[in-house]
Amino acid sequence: MKQGDVLNGYAVTTKPTNAGGGKCVWAFATRGGQEFFIKEFLEPKWPLDTSPGSAASKERRRADCLAFEQRHEHVMDRLKSDAVGGGNIVTAEAFFRDGTTYYKVTKRIDPSNLTTLAPLSTHQKAVVLRTLALSLQQLHKINVVHGDLKPDNVLVQKRPGRDLYTAKLIDFDDSYLAGQPPDPGTVGGDTLYGAPEWLDYIRDGTGTDGAALTTAVDMFALGLMVHEYLTGQRPGFPPAFSSPADAVRAGQRVTTNPLLHPDMQHLVLTLTDGRPRRRPQVEAFLDAMDEESVLEYPSSVTGHRTGRPSGGRPSAGRGSRLQINMGPGRGTSPGTGGLPAPRPSPGLLPAPDAERAEPESRPSRVRFHLDGRPPAAPPPE
Amino acid sequence: MSETPGQYSGNLRYAVDIVLCIDTTMSMRPVLESVKSSALSFHERLSTVMAEKGKGISQLRVKVIAFRDYGDRADDAMEETDFLPLPGSAGAYEDFVRRLEPRGGGDAPESGLEALALAVRSPWEKGLDRRRHVVVVFTDAPAHPLRSPAAVSSGTYPQSIAASEDELFEEWGYQSSQSSVMENSAKRLLLFAPDEEPWRGIADNWNNTIFFPSQAGDGLDEWEMDEIIQTIVNSL
Repeated sequence: MKQGDVLNGYAVTTKPTNAGGGKCVWAFATRGGQEFFIKEFLEPKWPLDTSPGSAASKERRRADCLAFEQRHEHVMDRLKSDAVGGGNIVTAEAFFRDGTTYYKVTKRIDPSNLTTLAPLSTHQKAVVLRTLALSLQQLHKINVVHGDLKPDNVLVQKRPGRDLYTAKLIDFDDSYLAGQPPDPGTVGGDTLYGAPEWLDYIRDGTGTDGAALTTAVDMFALGLMVHEYLTGQRPGFPPAFSSPADAVRAGQRVTTNPLLHPDMQHLVLTLTDGRPRRRPQVEAFLDAMDEESVLEYPSSVTGHRTGRPSGGRPSAGRGSRLQINMGPGRGTSPGTGGLPAPRPSPGLLPAPDAERAEPESRPSRVRFHLDGRPPAAPPPE
Repeated sequence: MSETPGQYSGNLRYAVDIVLCIDTTMSMRPVLESVKSSALSFHERLSTVMAEKGKGISQLRVKVIAFRDYGDRADDAMEETDFLPLPGSAGAYEDFVRRLEPRGGGDAPESGLEALALAVRSPWEKGLDRRRHVVVVFTDAPAHPLRSPAAVSSGTYPQSIAASEDELFEEWGYQSSQSSVMENSAKRLLLFAPDEEPWRGIADNWNNTIFFPSQAGDGLDEWEMDEIIQTIVNSL
């Protein structure tokens, strides 16, 4: 796509870029006076009659495309923006094909310029982390792994009229059903936030089964993220390794900032355990967020420093050790695993009128045509 | 950027191969000078940007294919290097790029498809843990069809490339391809080319391809080298 193109009624208003990596280019667009984010997928490509390749080749490519469509439709259909926590999941407004190329559109979110939660009060931090965890809970309840959880895919947005911020979870294009990831060459993820079992899966020759990639993959990333959100840096790890997962995979532990509350340090270490079944599920994380004091971090410490933390072990004995209920062993079954339902604290859950998706904003997904015909004009507003 | 063998035990080893296909006809003079001036710092800028992203490259190799027009200048229509490891062979890379001179290119189309076909058949790295195989095409002109009579009769036309655009497409491949020579998850094609055939058709039909249309004849002036490097890094 190019700036100035109109795709299925969406006018591309910025120069497309591949910033952020991945298998797409993206731009901003407008339609009906509203602003959107439009993503062009680099693959697959639907073969038109005029496209190169033999008939057999085209048949194989169409099969690839149909599988791609089904995977995305499956995830999108399972995500309900009006469920608890769903208001902060940025779901697709449209998913369509124009000619050979697939596109996905979401509403444009204007994030705050926060790169760390350090400037926020403890309560504000709790709201951000709870809204993130609630979004993740919705995914995990339907047995879906986000697959690329990292700060770039979480937009922190200030709530209008309130001195609170919420986390908007975006980009589900690498999501998959727990235990059923795409093949190792295709599976998404980021080496900085990836879990050890993910690393094993993508590394040729380890023979790691895709069944090992469960929702625990996301929890590993969440552990790294919560440390980064609170301190401005990811947890440290020995310099001989290039990522937390690599270090943990080799039997090391990440090192946490000693200025964090001991219970938070313990939470981060548990979330980044090398054994997926040892990591808390998201319900336990939500329970931990109920105790806002664990989010305390000295506000006089600046968020960004170069290099890795010089070390430090979680200090023992200060305050009570937060008990993290692991629940039964992790498998591919959704659900809370026997944990008590999260207790919503006042002000932490999205207010219904502010966060719940209004009926008219439910995704009005435009279905694509499979025979090469251009998509129909968008439905009237 | 390239690590010492054994220095990082157990790390995810990431191999990056980049093939630069550069139109070296006369109209490309402004961009060519920019490429030359960046030759010395290319791998350093790449590693700086990668470090900012928190990514390390275990092995980086660059290959350059400079093309003109077989139908116009048979003797120097195509010049290419092997894959040059960086930073170890930075000198050889720089020397090659410095020697490139913009010449010829009388008619509009050039031999860009032959350069792309040669790039596709490069000896790509197949080892390490994760690979990225990037082909970058810089041109301000359309391209002759493969095996045009004037090109084939030049006497220097490469014999070991795809015989047609359909065959070249199949060599580029797709997810379930049975005849691709490229690794589907590793490959990327970045086209800095005019918005006309064959580039428009390639952008529409080839997967993992990003098209940055330029104004034909303007020598890609609108693209800053930093922007091009950032785009390459974004694809890694």
